[in-house]
Amino acid sequence: MTSTQTRSSGVLNGLSRARRGVGLGGRSEHAPRPPRRFSTRSITLTLLVIPSVVLVVLIYGYPAIYSVFQSLHDGNLVEVGEFVGLENYRIVLHNPVFWQSVEFTILYCVVGVFGSWVVGLALALLLRKRMYGRSFLKTLLLLPWVVPVVVTATAWKWLVATPSSVVPRLAEDLGLGQLLFLDSPGLAKTIVIAYKIWLSFPFMMLMASAALAGVENDLYEAARVDGASSWQQFRRITLPLIARSTYISWILMFIFCIGDFQSIYLLTGGGPVSSTSTLVVLAYETVFGNFQTGPGVAIGIIMTVVSVLVSVVLFRRIKKVQIS
Amino acid sequence: MAGAAGVLPVLLEACGNSSSSSSGSGASGTLSLWDGEVGTGQLNTEAKKLVTAYKDGNLTGGYELLTGNIYEVIEAALAANKGPTVAGGYAYQAFQFADQGDIHYADNVVATMQKNGQYADYLPGLFPQMKTSKGYVGIPWGVDTRALWYNKSLLAKAGVGVPTDWASFLAAAKALKKIGVYGYVTAAASSNSAYGTHTLAAFMINNGGGMFDEQGNADCMYDRNVEAVEYLLELVKGGYVDPGSASYVDTDVYTELKNGKAGMALANPTIPQECGTDPVHGDLVVMSPVKGPHGDVGTIQYLKNYQMYTKTPSIAGSEKFMIWWNELFAGKKGFFAQGITAAVPVRKSVIALPEIQADPQLVKIIKEWVPVAKPESARYPHIFSGLATVDNGTAMVQCIQSILGGKTTATAALQTLQNGIQNYGASYKA
Repeated sequence: MTSTQTRSSGVLNGLSRARRGVGLGGRSEHAPRPPRRFSTRSITLTLLVIPSVVLVVLIYGYPAIYSVFQSLHDGNLVEVGEFVGLENYRIVLHNPVFWQSVEFTILYCVVGVFGSWVVGLALALLLRKRMYGRSFLKTLLLLPWVVPVVVTATAWKWLVATPSSVVPRLAEDLGLGQLLFLDSPGLAKTIVIAYKIWLSFPFMMLMASAALAGVENDLYEAARVDGASSWQQFRRITLPLIARSTYISWILMFIFCIGDFQSIYLLTGGGPVSSTSTLVVLAYETVFGNFQTGPGVAIGIIMTVVSVLVSVVLFRRIKKVQIS
Repeated sequence: MAGAAGVLPVLLEACGNSSSSSSGSGASGTLSLWDGEVGTGQLNTEAKKLVTAYKDGNLTGGYELLTGNIYEVIEAALAANKGPTVAGGYAYQAFQFADQGDIHYADNVVATMQKNGQYADYLPGLFPQMKTSKGYVGIPWGVDTRALWYNKSLLAKAGVGVPTDWASFLAAAKALKKIGVYGYVTAAASSNSAYGTHTLAAFMINNGGGMFDEQGNADCMYDRNVEAVEYLLELVKGGYVDPGSASYVDTDVYTELKNGKAGMALANPTIPQECGTDPVHGDLVVMSPVKGPHGDVGTIQYLKNYQMYTKTPSIAGSEKFMIWWNELFAGKKGFFAQGITAAVPVRKSVIALPEIQADPQLVKIIKEWVPVAKPESARYPHIFSGLATVDNGTAMVQCIQSILGGKTTATAALQTLQNGIQNYGASYKA
C-alpha cells in the first residue's frame, strides 16, 4: 500500500465516521455523558446570564405579550379597546390581500434564502481558488451587504422605476419594448427578489467561506485519488461538511427575509396592487396606513408563530447534523 | 418671496404679550404647538419664533416641528401621557383623536370667532365640515384643493383647445399622444404618492359620485363611480396615461410635467412652484372644472385645520392661544400674505389681498374649484375619522394601481375598493 493510499483510506474512514457523527467536533464513539450537577461554575454562569435574560424579556417579552393582548382587542395604539376575541384574526384570514401576502412572503423567503445561498456558496468556492486580486474581489463582493439598504434600494429604484430610468431605456434600445419593472406585478416581484438575493449573497458567501475554511484539502486530494469527480466531491464532501453552517445560514437568512421591511418598502412599497407586499409590509400598512391596530398586530402575531415554527424545524435539522 | 419678518412685530402685538390680557386662570405652563412642515421651510422657522415668543400670563408658547408620520408621533406621545396643546397635521387627524377622547372641542373658539366677526370672514361651508355630534374638532385655516392642470404650450402644439368636459379632455389626450406626449400623468406608487388616489376620488366626485352614500356607508359600486372608472380605463387603454404612473411617486409627476413628457395632471395648487415655473407666465395653467357626462363638476379637497388637545395647562389658555395661532395662518396679517403657506386661503379678507390676487392660478382655483370641491366622504356631507383609513389606504391604492395597469374592469376595480373599505368591518359613519 502506498502512502497516498494509506492516507486516502484513512481520510475516507474518517469521513464515514464523521457522517455517523463521530469525531470532527462530534462525540467520540464511546464517550460517556458527564453527570449533571450544580457546580459553582454553572451557578456563576447562570447568574451572569440572568441580567441578559431579564433584559431580553423586558425588551421583547412584554411587547410580545402586549401585542397578543392587542390582537384580541379592537383598539388603537393608545387604547386597548374592547375585547373582541379572535375577531381580528378572522378579519385577517378573510382578507384576500393577506393570502396574497402569504404567497409572496413564501416566495420571497424561499427564493431569497436559496437564491442567495447558491450565489454565495458559488462565490465562496470560487474565491477558494488562487487568483489575482482575490482580496480586492472579496471586499468588492461584500459591498451590497455593507452599504445601507436605504442607499442600495434607492439606487435600484433609480435604475428601474420609471420608463426613463436606465434599465427600461436600455431594454427599449435592445428592442425588448417598454419594460415597466415596478408597474407590472410579475416584473416587480422579480426585481424585489433579485434585489434581495443581490443584497444577501455576501452574507451567505461569508458563512460558506468560514465553513469551507474548516474543510481540509486532504479530503479532496484523497477523493480525487479515489476517482471522484468535481460534482461528487462537492456533493459527498463539501455539502455534508458544511451542512451545519448551511442550516444556520438558512435560518438566519429566513429570519432576515421574513422580517425584511425596508427593502420592499423602499423599492415598491408593496405594490403594484399589493403584489410585492410581504406580511411585515402588510402589518405595517394595516396599522399605520389603514389605522387598524388589531388586525395589523394579528398579522404580526401570525408571522411570529410561523417564523418560530420554521426556525424550530430547521434547528431540529441542525441537531441531526453532527458535523461542525 | 417675502419673508415673514415684517409680520412678526404686528402679530406679537396682537397676541397679547402683557399679563393684563392673560387668560386669567392663573395657570402656568407651556402651550405647545406641534406641526409638520407647512409650506416652505421658512414658515416653520418663523412660526417657531412667534410661538416661542408667545406669553399669556404665566403661560408660554412652545413649538415642535414634527418629522415623519405626524399621526404616529402624536399617537406615541399621547400614549406616553405627553402630547401637544395644539397641533396641525393631516386632514382627518382631529377626527381620529376626537374618537379617542384626546381632543378638546373648539365650540368656545368658534363662538368667540362668531362674535368677533372672524367666522363670517370664512368661505361658506367649511366650519360645518369640522363639526361632529360632540362639537367642532378643529378650526380650518386653509384648503388643499386638487385641480386639473395643463401645459398650454403642449396643447397649442397639439392644436387642441383647453378641455371643458370629459369628451374634450379625452380629445386633448389623443391630440397630445399624436405629438408624442402623454395626455395625463399621475402617481400611484404604494408609498410617497397621493395623486393617484386623488385622481380616483376626484373623477368619481366630478361625475357626481363618491365612495360613500348619503348615509355614510361605503358605496363604491354606485353607477356614477363605475362610469368614472370606465372613463379612466379608457384613458389608460388608449395609451394616453403615462405608463409609469402606477409606480410614480408624486415628485415624478412634477418631473414629467416639467420635462414636457405629459400634458395634463390633477395636482395641488402649488404645482407651478413644484415644477419651477412661474404661475403667471409659465406653461402650467389650471383649467376650469371639466363637466362629467351628466353635467356634474367637482373635485376632491382636504380641509387643513388645527386642533386642541385635552392635555393642557389651561383650557382657557388653549382656546386663546388657538384663536391667536389661527389668525397667523388664516388671517390677513398672517402667513398667506407672505406667500409661504402652500395652501388655498379660506378667509375672504385674505383672498382679497393683492399678494393672493397676483397669482391667477390660485385665484382661479379659489373662484372655480373650491366651490365645487368635496371632501373624500362625498356623497356624505360630513368628514369622519374612518376617512383616515380610506384616504390613500391599501384599498384605494390597489384600486387605482389596477386601473392604471389597464387589465381590469371598472366593476372589478371598484369591488376591490368596496371590499377593502369594508374588510375591517369598521363603522365609517360619523
